[in-house]
Amino acid sequence: MKTKLYLIAAVAMLGAVHAANAQDRVTWWYEQATPAQQKLIQDNIVEPFDKANPKYNLSIDYRGNEIDKQLRVALLAGNGPDVVYTAGPSYVAPMADAGQLLPLDDYASKYGWNDRILKVFLEMGRYNGKLYALPKTYETVGLFYNKTLFDKHGWTPPKSLDELEALAAKMKDAGITPFAAGNADWRGANEWFVTLALNAVAGPENLNKALRGDMPWTAEPFVKSIDRLKSWWEDGYFGKNYFSLTSSEQAADMMASGRAGMMPTGTWQFQNVTLYGKKDGSTAGFVGFPSASGDPVFPLGIGSTFSIASKSSDPDGAAALINFVFSPKVYGSMNSAWQGEWNIPLKDLSKAEMTDEVTPLFTQTMKTLSTAVKDGNYGYTTWTFLPPATDSYLINGIEQVWLDKISTEDFLSKLDETFQREKKAGKVPSIPAR
Amino acid sequence: MHRLYVLPTLIINAVIIAIPALLTVVLAFFEWDGVSSPVFVGFDNFRALWDDGVFWTALTNNIIWTLIFLTIPIAMGLLAATMLLVARRGSSFFQMVYFLPIVIATAITGRVWQGMIYSPVTGIAGLMQRAGFDVVNPLTHTSTALYGIATVDLWHWWGFLCVIFFAALRQVPAEQVEAARVEGATFLQTIRYVLLPGIKPTITLMMIMTVIWSFLVFDFVYILTQGGPAFSSEVLSTFAYRSAFYDLAVGKAAAISVVISLFGLLATVFYIRAQAKEFDQ
Repeated sequence: MKTKLYLIAAVAMLGAVHAANAQDRVTWWYEQATPAQQKLIQDNIVEPFDKANPKYNLSIDYRGNEIDKQLRVALLAGNGPDVVYTAGPSYVAPMADAGQLLPLDDYASKYGWNDRILKVFLEMGRYNGKLYALPKTYETVGLFYNKTLFDKHGWTPPKSLDELEALAAKMKDAGITPFAAGNADWRGANEWFVTLALNAVAGPENLNKALRGDMPWTAEPFVKSIDRLKSWWEDGYFGKNYFSLTSSEQAADMMASGRAGMMPTGTWQFQNVTLYGKKDGSTAGFVGFPSASGDPVFPLGIGSTFSIASKSSDPDGAAALINFVFSPKVYGSMNSAWQGEWNIPLKDLSKAEMTDEVTPLFTQTMKTLSTAVKDGNYGYTTWTFLPPATDSYLINGIEQVWLDKISTEDFLSKLDETFQREKKAGKVPSIPAR
Repeated sequence: MHRLYVLPTLIINAVIIAIPALLTVVLAFFEWDGVSSPVFVGFDNFRALWDDGVFWTALTNNIIWTLIFLTIPIAMGLLAATMLLVARRGSSFFQMVYFLPIVIATAITGRVWQGMIYSPVTGIAGLMQRAGFDVVNPLTHTSTALYGIATVDLWHWWGFLCVIFFAALRQVPAEQVEAARVEGATFLQTIRYVLLPGIKPTITLMMIMTVIWSFLVFDFVYILTQGGPAFSSEVLSTFAYRSAFYDLAVGKAAAISVVISLFGLLATVFYIRAQAKEFDQ
């Protein structure tokens, strides 16, 4: 009797394995997404992909915001998904170094990625001369402002740092907090402001030198950047509730309601800016963050990247999926509904169809950014270009500077020490030539 | 044959506790990013900790935390438990009320305090700010962040001690209390000379556990401040977590964990010795 049962179980299992083999399952772990966002992915990626590729069956697992830790453990154990989705190039370097990722060069030539994707981004995905990652989305940080409020007071968006400071003083006189900002939900928000200060004051050329190791982080331009950021903090630009507010919803609401005048943040905030603008009956504007020299700088950031696991059982299927995402169709459908997270770095966007619901402000901003990138006229975000420990110190250390626990010099020398150590260990992501 | 009965728990202990613990101790002497192969570096990780100001802040915070939890919740628990003993009416109701916070998941307790009490936008602090009182969110100031978190943990914790102490107090032989009363002892004297000595083993155990728990504290700190602002509420476990998962310095994190374990070990030695003494008596 018992033998018979075992036999039935074994046959049933074989059957199940066979059924799974009929279609190759491609697995992909995604970060956190709301049910509405999951539906967008289902409707615009999963279903059309499965339909266009009957051979494959895409399965997405939503892993929340701890995905990189889970991935690291899974890859170390030789498990994990086919499509490896990281939070940026600095996560890719150690994985590529450990042989956990598959070089994508063959797929790149097979699918013609080199012609379709902006060159800078391909270079950022290289490690030791081989392509390991493609960025899913690129972004920048700039200055949102409450246009309704500006019109009412007769203010214009600042064109230089001095103008920004003069405007902030006027806002404070009117009882308005200059910057809508907070970090209660995401401590990493600290580095948005460090990124802006570094790009605006020290400038991209100096940053490029420092990232390549040709200039120490303790150099004068960086001291000036951090000092200037500190003076903004001390003058109350960030308001008194910075550590209590969330960087996303509450900051957006603060600007839209007119309690704050400007919001220095990233293009990922477009969704919230539109949402709270409607709620509070105000319209928003967006300009590049002004620099010391006057011209706005657009620091370039990568939201997340795609790679293929070297242990993947179906690398061809994974490559087919990545190729599918890098299409004008997905760009159009995903950006129409979910702005800021799906700014796929395609060269040619003329075939991408967007719905009318997308604010012209978003389309315009992305066009400006893409032109700046094409012309090599972009800055550097700390989360994309700094190695992990340096970035983590920058996020926490800047609070020590703000709250007078350490001096700018001490902060920068510890930052430099951490950076040089990681550079020696090969942890600095590749920096495209300017 | 009967010795085999310890085997299942022994296997579980070996696989889930002993092996990972030993590996952690070994890793403390390596530099490892959690991805590539570890490199032996001797005592470098410990030396780096010695020179790291954040490590000392974290250690100090753990010690402050231990002192807070050795005194305030134990005193509150004892006081409330003796009250319950005196006022028997409604004691089970109050027990339930005091015990309730410990049943609520830590993450929820943390979020409720963060959003509904401390927040200047959505919380009671905000209501008071708008009413004109100068109330600040304690979690956002370097001088008060640790105490702000401790308050939340205290709220959630002291009721547990109260219920434990109350249970222990009820085990004190009624004749002793009766005798004290007949001899003319006041209420305070009864507590001091009869009740407290009667539950001394329970108090000792709770104090030793408090030391161990205080060096392990992670959840409330991580949920409420992640160790900030400016590392002011950093404790050893959040420091280890950040090192391992943000800085990708797993060796350093292992070294911090070894330090945490040393304090736990110390407390455990005390506990075992105290227990052995009791058995001897």
